[in-house]
Amino acid sequence: MLREQIEKLLPLVKSPSRYIGGEFNSVVKDKSKVDVRFAFCFPDSYDVGMSHLGMKILYSLKNKRENFWCERVFAPWPDFEELMRKNNIPLYALESLDPVKEFDFIGFTIQYELCYTNILNMLDLAQLPVKAKDRTDDMPIVVAGGPCVCNPEPLADFIDLFIIGEGEEVNLELMDLYAEMKKKGCSKREFLEAAAEIEGIYVPSFYDVSYNLDGTVNAVVPNNSHAAKTVKKRIIKDMDSVYYPESFVVPYCEIVHDRAVVEVLRGCIRGCRFCQAGFIYRPFREKSSDTICRQTKSLCETTGYEEISLSSLSTSDLSDIDETLRRLSEYTEEEKVNLSLPSMRIDRFSKELLEQIQKVRKSGLTFAPEAGTQRLRDVINKNITEDEIMRACKLAFDGGYTGVKLYFMLGLPTETDDDIRGIAELAEKITDLYYQNPNRQRGKHIQISISCATFVPKPFTPFEFEPQASIDEIKHKQKVLLDSIRSRKRINVSWHNYRVSILEAVLAKGDRRLCDAVYEAWKAGCKFDGWDEFYNYDAWMEVFERLGTDLDFYAHRMRSYDEISPWQHLDYYVSKDFFIRENKLAHEEKTTFNCREKCSGCGVSKAVGGACFGKN
Amino acid sequence: MEKINLRAVFEKSGHAVFISHLDLMRAMQRAIKRSKIPVWYSQGFNPHIYLNFPLALSLGVTSKTEFMDFAVTEPCDYAALTETLNKAMPEGLKILGIAEPVFANKDIGFAEYTIEFKSDVPSEEMLSALENMMKADTIEIDKRSKSKGTVKLDIKPHINITGTETASGLLHVFVRLPAGLELNINSNVFIDTFAALSGIDFTSVYAERTKILCLNGENFR
Repeated sequence: MLREQIEKLLPLVKSPSRYIGGEFNSVVKDKSKVDVRFAFCFPDSYDVGMSHLGMKILYSLKNKRENFWCERVFAPWPDFEELMRKNNIPLYALESLDPVKEFDFIGFTIQYELCYTNILNMLDLAQLPVKAKDRTDDMPIVVAGGPCVCNPEPLADFIDLFIIGEGEEVNLELMDLYAEMKKKGCSKREFLEAAAEIEGIYVPSFYDVSYNLDGTVNAVVPNNSHAAKTVKKRIIKDMDSVYYPESFVVPYCEIVHDRAVVEVLRGCIRGCRFCQAGFIYRPFREKSSDTICRQTKSLCETTGYEEISLSSLSTSDLSDIDETLRRLSEYTEEEKVNLSLPSMRIDRFSKELLEQIQKVRKSGLTFAPEAGTQRLRDVINKNITEDEIMRACKLAFDGGYTGVKLYFMLGLPTETDDDIRGIAELAEKITDLYYQNPNRQRGKHIQISISCATFVPKPFTPFEFEPQASIDEIKHKQKVLLDSIRSRKRINVSWHNYRVSILEAVLAKGDRRLCDAVYEAWKAGCKFDGWDEFYNYDAWMEVFERLGTDLDFYAHRMRSYDEISPWQHLDYYVSKDFFIRENKLAHEEKTTFNCREKCSGCGVSKAVGGACFGKN
Repeated sequence: MEKINLRAVFEKSGHAVFISHLDLMRAMQRAIKRSKIPVWYSQGFNPHIYLNFPLALSLGVTSKTEFMDFAVTEPCDYAALTETLNKAMPEGLKILGIAEPVFANKDIGFAEYTIEFKSDVPSEEMLSALENMMKADTIEIDKRSKSKGTVKLDIKPHINITGTETASGLLHVFVRLPAGLELNINSNVFIDTFAALSGIDFTSVYAERTKILCLNGENFR
């Protein structure tokens, strides 16, 4: 039993309640009575991982099956990791406190590129070989899913199989298959071959990748008869009837999103050209008002949370949002539960929504124009006008707000210095709007925060062909922005660390040859790359240099339309022709209708067997 | 709205000993919310469940004598209330009884602990190390205070050892420590001081709070 060893160390670490389990609603089963044990790993800290909705869904879904037991595993914070290694405590799961190396499956959800080294570190902490080829038949099958596996190639050496697309059905199919084959005493290879026949399962070792002289991919060819030429993602057809948890595990320590969450819709109608989520989660599917209300009530009652949040890529695009909110607030007001609404679009912002948001708290309002000029907003297909931004800000100021936070990206395709100056001009206009508004709060000055991320071109977007801006270009853009802001006291500018964005770009669009770099970076001590206090840019650069990895080739190169991408054998239904079309429209500064207005023929309707919306 | 002040005695054990004081507040609020008892909410712009813990418990310490003050909006049967709350409690937190409060927080003066020291060192040796420590004229420690930074404090006069027991490899110490507004020495201070002064490498130390007492010596309730 690890319990005694763990408990002895807990008083020595920060926030120990996250390492011992026992939270309300956590599921404990008798391990002798289950067929398949699944260690669901989130490759980041407990407080980040416990906030992740996908994990909550799959955890409950698997545990609902009597013969499966799914447990939670997070990356221990370095203070505890050090003690675990010193005391030879292997990575364990929170429900049973059993080592994950004894499980049937170890499953990672991969939400961002900056957690790749944590995956290796967790496998190592589990006392398992990090490379798939070094793991023997008596060790767990290591699987991974989540948005990043749309290009899983930089992780191909470490993971036995990837789960492409939405997990609710395919996870159960995979575990059923395993239960059946385990009884027969099949080998790991036999299992992987059978799994590869399931739609949505990608076994990277069953594919050979060849390269051209210029370093680009020549072909990705199956080397096993069980592997399909292209692997199609899985899609849940009906959101209204898909499984959703009745309860969440309630943590003791404060986590990032410490509230109940109801997913109200999946996919997005908007088609912003930089946004990977907007394409890989297509088609748009929503839940009915009845379902949303029922799930809200159930989650509030079983968790005791005082806040519920409606989650999606764009919650204001829910067709009957007004009716849903009206019904929900009847319940939440009665029960003294706060209702929070993230992901609201500027153009859908209304007095009613504002009042709803204000009931919860009156801290900041955040809008995401993403670009400073209409020209560039058209390039990225944001489909928001300056008038709409001004209207939303006016509503906010009328409602007593004295500040707004604005999100932008620097380094977008076709961006010029004028576009950068447009960010400053927009902020100045909002400042003027505030002071001209007779309804504003008297005696208070405005505070505008401009937060700039660096654009990272992502696979499965119309901008997958685009280069990322170089470090010098970004420095120049930052200077242009700072120089063009007049009222520095009222307008505060901040940006994400560019040195992080470049690693994201390399890993996001990387190929299989980057596995060595990920491995070497981990060997060099890289972990928690998403955390400023741990990110070691120099160590990564040293590894890239040592291995001869050309960052320009991966991140800063315009890729031609006919180049074979490292992820071309994965099919997310949105066609490459569509991405090319959209890329051309971007360069022509032309926008595309949203899916509700007019179908743009992205290809996903094939997957749903007809039109996504009525008969358009 | 009617407000009836109540005081619950509860147990903190198992997993729950690793819940920090701040997190305990949240855990209790959520449990109360799940239980649907007619709890009293603070009356303000942002109403929340009113809770107060008269005395904090150090992380890692077990107790069957913790107190939590809350209020209800209608008269309740205390046994039924206890049962309803316990159905919504996470593992390791258990309400042992509910009554109307008698004393105020400021009346608290002392807390008693049973501390089990485990070591490869023979228990007699542990005991004599403890006796040696208590024979000294002073036991000075660094105590952090909000206003004065770190100050030297002689805790010797404040440590009241009411008994000891030895068993193979084990030393049990029964100790009373100040827990009032003016001076509060938690069990970890005593444990750390003993470990430092004796130089013994304890393989485990297990502490349980057994009693909370008023300045006048009566049981706090």
